[in-house]
Parts: sequence; C-alpha cells; structure tokens
Amino acid sequence: MKLTIKNKLSGLILFALMMFCSQVSAQDFTATGTVSDSGHEPLIGASVSVVGGKVGAITDIDGNFTIQCRPGDMLEVTYVGYTSRKVQAGKGLKIVMEEDAKTLDEVTIVGVGYGKMRKSDLTGAIASVNSKDMKQGVITSTEQLLQGKVAGLSIVQSSGAVESGASIRLRGGTSLSASNGPLVVVDGIPGVDINSVQPSEIVSMDILKDASAAAIYGSRGANGVIIITTNRQGSDTEVNTIQYNGYVALASAAKTLDLLSENQWRSYVRSTGNMSALDFGASTDWQKELMRTAISHGHNINFSSSKKNHGYRASFTYNNNQGVIKNNTMNRLAGSLSAYQTGMNGRLRLDEGINTNFDSWHPVDNRIFERMTNLQPTFPVYNQDGSYAQFNGTNTENPVELNNNRTEDRKRHRFLGYLKAELSLLEGLVATVNTSYEFNSVKSGLYKPTYARMEGQSEHGWGQRIYDDYTNKQLELYLTYDKKFVDIHHLNLMGGYSYLDNTYEGFSSTRSGFDSDAFGYNNLGAGTDHRQGDVGSYKGESKLISFFGRVNYSLMDRYMLTATLRNDGSSRFGQHHKWGVFPSLSLAWRISEEPFMASTREWLDNLKLRAGFGVTGNQNGIGEYKSLSILSAAGSAYYDGTTGTWKNSYTQIQNPNPNLKWESTAQWNLGVDFSLYNRLNGTLELYYKKTSDLLWTYPVPQPPYLVGTMLANVGDLVNKGFELTLGYKAVRTKDWTLDANLSLAYNHQEITKLSNDQYQAVGLQAGPLHSVRGMSNTYAQVIKEGFPAGAFWGPHCTGISDDGKYMLEKDENGKVKEGYLGSAMPKWNLGLSLNATWRDFDASVAAYGMFGQKVLNVSRMVMYDPTRFPSQNTLDDFMKSGITDNPTFSDYFIENGDFFRLQSITLGYSVPMNAVKKMGLSRLRFYVTGENLFCITGYKGIDPEVSVPDNVLNSPGIDFFNSYPRPRTFSLGVNIGF
Amino acid sequence: MKRLNISISNILPGRKTWLGVGLLLAMASCTDLNEQLYDKVSQDDYGKTSSEVATIVGGAYATLRGYGSGTPEGAGIICYPTCEYVFFTQECSSDEACIPTRGTDWYDGGRYQQFQRHNWDAKNSGILSVWRYNFTGVSKVNAIIYQVEQSGLTTEDKQKVEAELRGLRAYYYYNLLDCFGNVPVVTDFTQKELPTNTPRKDVFAFIEKELKEIIPLLPSGITYGRFTQNVANTLLARLYLNAEVFTGTARWQDCLDACNKVQGYSLTPNYKASFAIQNEKSPEIIFSIPYDHKQGTVGNYLASMTYHYNQKLAFDPAGVYQWCGNGICAQPGLYSSFDARDVRRQSLLIGQQYSAKDGSEVLMDDGSPLNYTEEIDNFTDAAKNAGARLNKYEWSANDSWERDNDWVLMRYAEILMMQAECNFRLGYTPTALTYINQIRKRAGLDDLTTLTLDDLDNEWKHEFVFENLRRTTNIRFGTYFKPWWEKPADPADKHTGIYPIPQEELSKNPNLKQNPGYEN
Repeated sequence: MKLTIKNKLSGLILFALMMFCSQVSAQDFTATGTVSDSGHEPLIGASVSVVGGKVGAITDIDGNFTIQCRPGDMLEVTYVGYTSRKVQAGKGLKIVMEEDAKTLDEVTIVGVGYGKMRKSDLTGAIASVNSKDMKQGVITSTEQLLQGKVAGLSIVQSSGAVESGASIRLRGGTSLSASNGPLVVVDGIPGVDINSVQPSEIVSMDILKDASAAAIYGSRGANGVIIITTNRQGSDTEVNTIQYNGYVALASAAKTLDLLSENQWRSYVRSTGNMSALDFGASTDWQKELMRTAISHGHNINFSSSKKNHGYRASFTYNNNQGVIKNNTMNRLAGSLSAYQTGMNGRLRLDEGINTNFDSWHPVDNRIFERMTNLQPTFPVYNQDGSYAQFNGTNTENPVELNNNRTEDRKRHRFLGYLKAELSLLEGLVATVNTSYEFNSVKSGLYKPTYARMEGQSEHGWGQRIYDDYTNKQLELYLTYDKKFVDIHHLNLMGGYSYLDNTYEGFSSTRSGFDSDAFGYNNLGAGTDHRQGDVGSYKGESKLISFFGRVNYSLMDRYMLTATLRNDGSSRFGQHHKWGVFPSLSLAWRISEEPFMASTREWLDNLKLRAGFGVTGNQNGIGEYKSLSILSAAGSAYYDGTTGTWKNSYTQIQNPNPNLKWESTAQWNLGVDFSLYNRLNGTLELYYKKTSDLLWTYPVPQPPYLVGTMLANVGDLVNKGFELTLGYKAVRTKDWTLDANLSLAYNHQEITKLSNDQYQAVGLQAGPLHSVRGMSNTYAQVIKEGFPAGAFWGPHCTGISDDGKYMLEKDENGKVKEGYLGSAMPKWNLGLSLNATWRDFDASVAAYGMFGQKVLNVSRMVMYDPTRFPSQNTLDDFMKSGITDNPTFSDYFIENGDFFRLQSITLGYSVPMNAVKKMGLSRLRFYVTGENLFCITGYKGIDPEVSVPDNVLNSPGIDFFNSYPRPRTFSLGVNIGF
Repeated sequence: MKRLNISISNILPGRKTWLGVGLLLAMASCTDLNEQLYDKVSQDDYGKTSSEVATIVGGAYATLRGYGSGTPEGAGIICYPTCEYVFFTQECSSDEACIPTRGTDWYDGGRYQQFQRHNWDAKNSGILSVWRYNFTGVSKVNAIIYQVEQSGLTTEDKQKVEAELRGLRAYYYYNLLDCFGNVPVVTDFTQKELPTNTPRKDVFAFIEKELKEIIPLLPSGITYGRFTQNVANTLLARLYLNAEVFTGTARWQDCLDACNKVQGYSLTPNYKASFAIQNEKSPEIIFSIPYDHKQGTVGNYLASMTYHYNQKLAFDPAGVYQWCGNGICAQPGLYSSFDARDVRRQSLLIGQQYSAKDGSEVLMDDGSPLNYTEEIDNFTDAAKNAGARLNKYEWSANDSWERDNDWVLMRYAEILMMQAECNFRLGYTPTALTYINQIRKRAGLDDLTTLTLDDLDNEWKHEFVFENLRRTTNIRFGTYFKPWWEKPADPADKHTGIYPIPQEELSKNPNLKQNPGYEN
C-alpha cells in the first residue's frame, strides 16, 4: 500500500479529473489494469486517461482502474512524482510507473522542525530515510533502523545483549564529556526517547545534519536532529487497512574466543613439563556453557482508517527476544493509538495520540565474560554432588553459577501522549499548539541469594529495588505564514515559543542479611542487616525556555534563503549565561532550473548548490545544579562522641561555577545535490565544524578551591569532512528492478584547545586501565591538543625478543618512549545497500563498515599473561607466541579496528495479487533474513565494533571483556494485509 | 485638591491591550529559569540553627575518612588514609613495609617501587593522593568555618565550634608539613587568588600558633573521636618532637610539656585491644577515625590489601571471606627484628596457612602451599606468598568489605614514647627508661637498663608497626636516608625527606614552586 504525503498534493488534480470524467459518455471497450511503482506497491489515485479523448479514471486503493475506451486507444497514466506512461488499452494491464527525478524533489516533503518543506526548497544538509530503506530483520532498538543508512551518522550497538540500545553519533561528535546523541523529534515533539516509537509506526526519518538545519533546535542541536514522522497523515482517498507483521528468529554468537580446550591445555602442560599443574579431569568449554541458540519472535498488528476529515490508527507490538547468553531475555509490549479530526470547515485540525510501551528484561552480570576466559578447561562446572564447583583465586568464580544464581529483573515503561492543534487563522496563516507529556520509568529488582558465591554468601543474601523516572512536560506555540507573491516570490515565516519542564526522581533500597531466600527481592524488609545508605532518594528538575523563528524565502523556485534564530534559556546554565542565542543562515541555488541550463535538461534532472552556516549547542554535559554552591546530605555520617551515636553530616559537594554554559558548535556546510539521466542521484556535503566551550571536569588548584576539580567550559574541538550519498537505479525492466545505494563519509577530528587563562591542561589522561591487574596507574589514551579524541598514547613495541620480551622503543637515555599510537575515532564510514525485485520476489542486501580506527584489545592483553597458565585459561595463539613478559601496555595490543559487516540479506516473496485476493487479503509476503552473516576484519577480539559507554568520547575504542558477543541471526517473517 | 473627572474606561487600556498585557505577563512567568532544589540545599540557606550547624561541623570529621576515586574530591585518585594510597605511600617509603610486584599484580606504573627506592617523581599518583587527601581536608574545613561564621550561633559558640575545626585543619597541615614541607597556608574559604608556597618553618609556626590559640577553647576531658584539648596537645607534642627536622631547632622540652598536659589515658593491658573490631573501648586511644560499615563508612579495607587471595579459606570455614588482593607486606628483616616473646610480633602474619574448615594446608592457585615467608625473593617479581602480612587489626570471618575497626591516629603509648625520647635527648636517661619500660612490659619484654638512640628507634618501630608513624620516625633518627634492602643510600642533600609537590598541582597553580632537589 502506497500511502505518502504525495497523495495530498495529487488531490487537487484528482478532483479536477473527477469533475471532468463525469461529463463523458460510455465507450464500447472496458480497459482494466493495475498501476504500481517499481517495487510493486500499488499507486492509489493515479490518473488514467485516453490519449486524445476526454475520458479519465483514477486508481483505487489497490491501484486498480477501469476505463471505457475504444480498442487500440492509447492510455496515459500520470502520477505526481512519476514519469507519465503511455500504454495500449487492454485488459488486466500491469502498469509500472517510474519515479521522475525532475519532480521527485518537488513532491518529497521533509520535516525540518516546526514545519515541513519540499525537498527542492531545502537549503540545509538534511538526509531522509524512508521506512522501506530502514534496517531489516530483528529490531531490538529503534536506533538500529538507521544503521549504515545515512552518510556521517554512525550507529554502534552497545552490545549483543537484547536490552542494549545503540549510540548514535553524527559527524564525529562534538563533546568529550557529554552524550553525543542527536536530538530526537517525534511528530514535532523534541527530546523524545527514540524507543518510545514502535518501528512499525515510523514512516520516515529526516536527519538534520548541519547547523543551518539544526539551529532551530538551538542548545540541543549540536549533535544533529532526527525528525521522526509516524504514520498519522490524512488521506484524500479513503484508505482502510489491517496489517500483521511477524517473525521468528534463531540467533547464535557470531564469534567466540579461541581459548585452550582441555586437550590443548593438557598437551601444553605436558610439553612445558609443568609439574604443579592441577588437572581437575573435566572438559569444559566455559563459553559454550554460557551460550545458547536463542529463539526470538515478534508480532505487530495495526489497523488504520484515514479519510479527508478524520482518521485513526492503532498499532500493537509484542516482541520476545532471547540473547545468546543464557537467561538474557527481553519482552516488549508496545501500543499506540492516534486519531485526527478536522473542524471549523477544515480550518482546524486536531491530532491526539498515545504511544506506550512496557519492556521487561533480565540483564546478565557482565563479570561472567572475564570469568569464562579465566577458568581453565579441566575444571568442572558441577561437583559430583551436582553443586557448582568453585575454583579459588581471583576473578575465577564459576560463571555458570554467577549467571544462574542471581535474579535480576528490570522493567521500563515509556509513555508519550500529545495533543496538537492547527488552526488556520487567515489565508496562509496557521497557528499551532503542540503539547506533550512524556513519562519514562525503570524499575529494577536484584537478589543474590545466600548461596550465591558472589556477594550472596558474604552478605547473607542481598536484595535491591531501584526505581527511577522522569517526566517531560512540553508546550510549543508557533505561527506559520506562507505566501506567494506575484508568482515568483515564496515566503514562509515561522515564529514561536517553547517551554519544557523535565523532572526526574527516584529511590533505591538495599538490604542484606536474609534468613531465607524465599522472598527474593520482593520483601526487602525481611533482611536484618540494617545499614546507613540502605535507602536513598533523589529528585531534580530543569527547565528549558525558548523563542525561535525562521524565514524561508525562495525566488523563482531557483534561489532560496533560510534564516533561523533561537534564543534558549536553561535553568542548568550558570547565572552569568542564562540565555544563549543560536543563529543560522543558508542559501541554495537550483542551477538546473536556470534558463541557461535548458540544453542540459536532457540528462541533468537536478543540480543544486547549498551553503550554510549556523551555531548550535549541546547542554547535555552540564546536568542540573552544577553551577551552584550546594550541600548534600548523603553518605557522610560522623561519630558523635558526646552521645556515642552516629549522625549524618551535610557537606558541600562541588566548586560552584556561575559561568557554566552550553557547548557551542559553529558549523559551515557546502552541499551539492544532483540527479542524472533519471537514474543516478546523489549528494555531496562538505563541512567544517568547530565546537567551543567544551565542557570538561578540569583540575583546579587546591587550595584555594574546595575540591581539586571543576566543571568548566574551556576547550575547542574541530571536525571536518565530507559525505557522499549516491543512489543508482541500475535496472528498470518489466520484471526486474535493481537499486544500489552508497553512503560514504570521512571525518577528521582534532582537539585544538584545552586550556585558557584559568584552566590549564596540557594533556588529560584518559582510557584508564585501572581495572586491569597491575595497571591501576596506567592510562591508554590522552586528550591532547593536536589530536583527536580517543588518542592512544604509550610505548611503541618493535617486536618480541628472543627470550619472549616486548621490545619497546627507547629514547637516547634508554627510557621507554611514549607517543601517539593512533585514534579510536573512525575516519571512514561506509554504508551499502542493494535492493532488487524480480516479478514477485524481492531481495535486499545491506552492509556497513568503519575504517581508520584503532581498538585496544585489553581482553587479549590480559590473557597474554605467562602467569595465567596453567591455573587459568588463555588463548591458544598466546601459547604459540613464546611471550614470557608480563602484560605490558603498548601498541602491540592496539589493533586496526577496520571492519566491513554484512548487516543483512533479505529474500522475500509476495504472493501474486489475484491469489491474495482470493484469500480475501490485500497482501501476503514471506521473507527470510540473515543478519551479521559475516564481518571482514583483521581484529583479533570478539568484535571490532566496540561500544562507546554513554556515547561519550573520552575513552572510546577499548575492548575490555565488555563485549557481549553480537549474534548471527536468521529470521523468517510474514507480512499480511487484510 | 482638584477633582479629576476621568472615567475608569479612559484609564484602563482597551480589551486588546489587556490581552497583550496578559500575554506578556504569561510570557514573563514562563521565562523563569531559577533552579529549584529538592534533594540538596543551597549553601546560603543552610546553617541557621545549631542543629544545622552540627551537621555541617560533623562533615569536617567525616573528611578524615578520605575519598574514593569516583568522588569529586578524589577525582580519579583514591585518597583513603587507611590504605590506598595515603597509607601506602608513607608506609612503603619507610623501612617497615613494601608492595612488591607479584607477577602481573601490583606493578601499577611502578609507583610502589618508587616509594621503596625513594626515587619517586612528581607524577607519582600516590604522592598526589597524600596531597589531595590533606588539602581536601583543609579546603572543606575552611568552607565549614566560613559557613559557621555566617550561621546564627552566638560569637562565643562560634569560637568553640571553630576551635575544633581549626584543630582538624591543624592536623591536616601537620601531615602536609611532614610530607611536603613548603605548602601554601590558606585559611580563608573566599580566597580565590592562587597561593604561593609557605616556607616549612612558617607552616610549623602556623600550626603551633593555631594549636596554642584553640587549646583553651576546646573541650577538656575525653570525648571519643572528637578534637579535644588532649588531641591538640598530642599533636603539639608531635610537632615539637619533630621540630628539629621541620625547622632546624629542636624543641624537646616543649614536647615534654605538651605530653604532660595529656591526661586521662592508660595503656591497655592487652596490646591488641587498641586494634580490635570494637577498639573504641580501648582506654588508650586519644584520637581515631571511627568506622562502622553499617553507618556507610568507606575506605577501611587494609586487610583486603595485604592477605593472599586464598586467605579466605584460612579465615572462614565457609571459604567466602572478603576478596583479598595480596599486596602490601612487611619488609624482609622486620619480623625477625622482633623478640620472639614480643606480643607485638603478632602484628605480622607468617608461615603456612591452614583451612578454617578442616585444618588442611591452604594452597595457592598453582597448587603450592600458602606459606608466608619473611624473605621476599625478588622485589620486582615476587612469589605470591613472599612477605610477612600486616595482621595488626583484628579480623573476623564475618567481616564486611568495609571493616569496623576504628583507625587509630593517636594513642597513649605515643605520649609515653615521646616522653622517653625527649627525656633521653635532654639527658634524663633514668626518667626516659621509666617511660620506655612501661611500653616494653606490656609487650612482654624485659626492662631496659641502658638506653641508646637505636633502642628508641627500635621501640618506636615495634610499638607502632604499621601505624603510619614510621616514615617520620625514620627521618628523625636519620635511618630514612641510609641504604636498606632494595634501596641505596639517599642523595646527600636529603631532599627525599619531603615529597615533591605533585606535578599536577604545579601545572594547575603556576605560583607554586617545586621543593628543593625535585626542580627539574
């Protein structure tokens, strides 16, 4: 079913045609047929007319038409955005329409924030992804839909765990200390949790990449904006649908570590003549013991009705996803309901809706990953009596016991409700009120029973409940004025006000000392070991108030100008900088529309130049109350010797900084859009962005400061690069279509300043290896002027000596030299996709890669330890390496992180229409998808795609047993339309 | 008065204007950006009542426990006076303790090897930990004094409260004087200019003046865990005891005078009682940092830093004692320097460990027996069982990670030893013997009849083993600079008698000068 905004525009034409049709008389032949797009999606409302005649018809909801004519007549089919086609009249015609690149930009509507624009009128760098181009297969978080689809937007799934989200980073990121996630705007509501929206409801996502596009969101726009449009448009043709989509999937770990098997272990023990080696007689593959073939399934059912004046849509999703580590599962129940109604003779339109979902999941204790590599393969999982066997030593607790003997349940509830009213006040003048309420809560319960090895036994049972929530209340008011003057001037003005209140609160309680494990975490009061800090609660609030405006002006549809201004006030900002101004200006020139380009129209469908500049901000790094001088009353009891009792003390917690403000990013962008021969289209973007006032917790001298660090705006960070997006319609025949898409992005990052008069930082240590044995004073990275974030810094290893020692490069004094060893920031991002159809079959392949980044393989460095064997397990290649040195940090363990991953392959088959009709259905498609089938990389760890904790750039690219293996998944799915 | 005849409607704006004004008002209330506090209080709004003031002053005592690395105060460096790294740094610079590198464990950038060999550089994070611990204490106390000044207390009450706070500050400054010498003296919370170094003898004079001024204002008698007159006098005595090192001028008699003012304490018959889990009952303790894990106190886990990983099997029949990390231990030679009858030798653990469950030998992971040896085969690659362990504070199978033994900072035995040493140095050997023999008697040793400086040095070593006094004592007796086990003789200029000012502090404050001998 083709249901797009295009239909709105075609309405007028249709109406005219219908008036025209009613006047003609019947002919002696009835031609019938179906009109569809190249993907076999029926086109609703396409017009069919007899060439040279007066007769016309329009296609219905299934793309069918019937028209009276004479045999041998030519029929002409037209549809906005498509090249018109002429065919000879006949019965059961199958007419496939091809998109027209010339007009496509004029009918494609793009969300730009507080309004929509025709793609042809855009002046900023905005990339759009349609639902059919999004990621296929099992979707566990909404971010995944965009993975590898947009040049310059890198999306890294934080782990293979089913509950894990993904971090999104645009053009290298702008902040060292704050989240680099873009602002997500759902149907006009900014700042929404992207997972509030079910993937099934998303029609399109528009990514505002440059500052001239994102500046309308001011202090939250620096990392770009993702504008999500869900399925709630009205339609001039009455459309009623019911759809079911479902899948079943099987997953297993794509890669595991090559640890010694029990036979390898024994043969190494024999060959090294190690007499003290304890052979426990078992044969255990600890990785296998913890992993499984995971079975997941998901179901979505939705129905909708859309008419000219009112409509509704309801959607319901249930997913049950298993992780490849045992006990890791997640359930999601999601529902959404939306409705619209027009009134006042069409001058008023109201939209209301709710999106809500409930997630419940069991996370795993990440400590199992290190332990499964530590325990040696002759050690049994269970004792003879069936109890868990326990090895002494450090970090060698039985991981199977750890994974089984603890109960952890988490539940998340997301709610987003909105009411939007649009009132047309005068010709061209529309007032919009958008109110929303978003609520997001997480409850967790954790119990370690008295028999659990880790914490359970020593604490005699340990239970915890935690509850956190936040609420966003938002009101946005804006006026839009749209007017054309003397046919060549098109002016669009928008101005408004926005108020956002964010309140967050929560509490936690912990108790240990349980006489019985009967209650789990459900009755913490049963624990008898009362301690200070058992209970805690918090609450905070922030407000963001904004005034904003935008001018769009276009002259003769060739010259466009957009200017925006936003004034943001945030309660988080220090008293000296309560308000920030974020301007932007951008221009575009549609060269291909110039009269002097008339000669090129044959082959040049579109050529447009864009240039823009803007300033945006990021206020994620400040947090609440950071500018103030405040006292907290948590966690510092003192003994009052006079009364012999413990009392609570209140203590000042930070150096106040009244100068705190947003991180500010100024960005230049140059863009070219082009389209050739109606086949090849593309966009090239060049950008230069400089972030100033970088937030960092700076060391300050003590005395005089209260504590030795202070959050302050000091540094500068530059990202520059280019992005190329190409789309090629390679094949368009009656039976075949083939499309290829490529996105390629290059980014160069450099920290250009870290100090000012007040704060001095020559090089800040980052990438701490404190949790590695013997390295608690070692840092793997520096944050340093002249280098990108994630700069590895340390000794260079020139090789392994004959006696198995690391040979580190030394200076003339014989001291080990330290220097730059590469960066964890990828230089190149690549995305590729192929979509093909053959008759009723469809196929798609998607792949992506990142290149130029380094990964520090800490997991490997830890296992390259001669003292491990034979009491602990190690890697087979270590035993062969002949290394006798203790683990030493150097570039020996810094590997190229380049990879190219086959994200998914999908093969689909749609049952032919007439067969479907017989079943009373409107659509029936089956598909199989394989995900993560291979990953080409030289990286020796489990996966080169290392997560970035909290999407912060201070210590990226370090693989330290945090890699829950990514799954390889095969799924079988069905799409049914009723 | 002239009557004005103006109708109301003339004065009032028209309906449209009202609408505009209303809209403006609505807008104004919608631009309020003040931060509303819920779970914290503003400094300006707090400290009005004496109970509120008590909660702030209590915070000054809480600073004694130090900070974890994840706190704003610790900022990446663990600053606990009980172990990491305040205690480690000072203990391992002395001749009684060390942290050998054991295979992969405890290398940590070589910082512990630097302590042992006195070849530290200004980037050693253990030294930064000592600085940060003490200066955070100073800064927090200054902030609290400032708040007490703004509070609603009477002038007299303010003076009393401030006397305790100044006492705590003097304690921190004593540590800084001892460890770094030339540190900036800052007493005003509102000072924002970057300070310069205060010469060591002026820091000494500042502490002396502060203590003398506050003693009359402090509580008399004994109040456990509180900065009383007794605590101030003990600190003053310590200051004078080391005055020759700090200023070049000995103050032995002043030390004796201060010791004499410390009243109301006695030696416990059982040496170990001062280190028991319930050691707050000991009549010997003058000043301590109270700990109680149930009250959420953190940082007190030295036991877990010294015992071998498998010590849990010897401590706990269930074999689930808290994780132990096999780190700090005694220097070779320390154990055998004790007389076999000396009860204080039990502050060190040596020999084969046996299972608490069945009495069998506890083994290490490689299957060899867990038998602690006094000798350490190789300081930079030591066997896992090498080195006698710190076994001074009582443990129990039920210990939580955060131990409950209060951390002893000053106890009466120190007064007796100071009296012995000062009397000896002033030539009153018979008087000195009466003091030192009280100590020896309790330890189960015979009385001394003659006395030498070496005898005194040894008695200090044995009585206060692992009590963080050894570095200062070594320096006072000069043993600090002599060659020992893993250390050659210190450079002749003896600049190693104080630590370098941490590089990080120098780079943050250009007004600070590096200590002599560390300038390059």
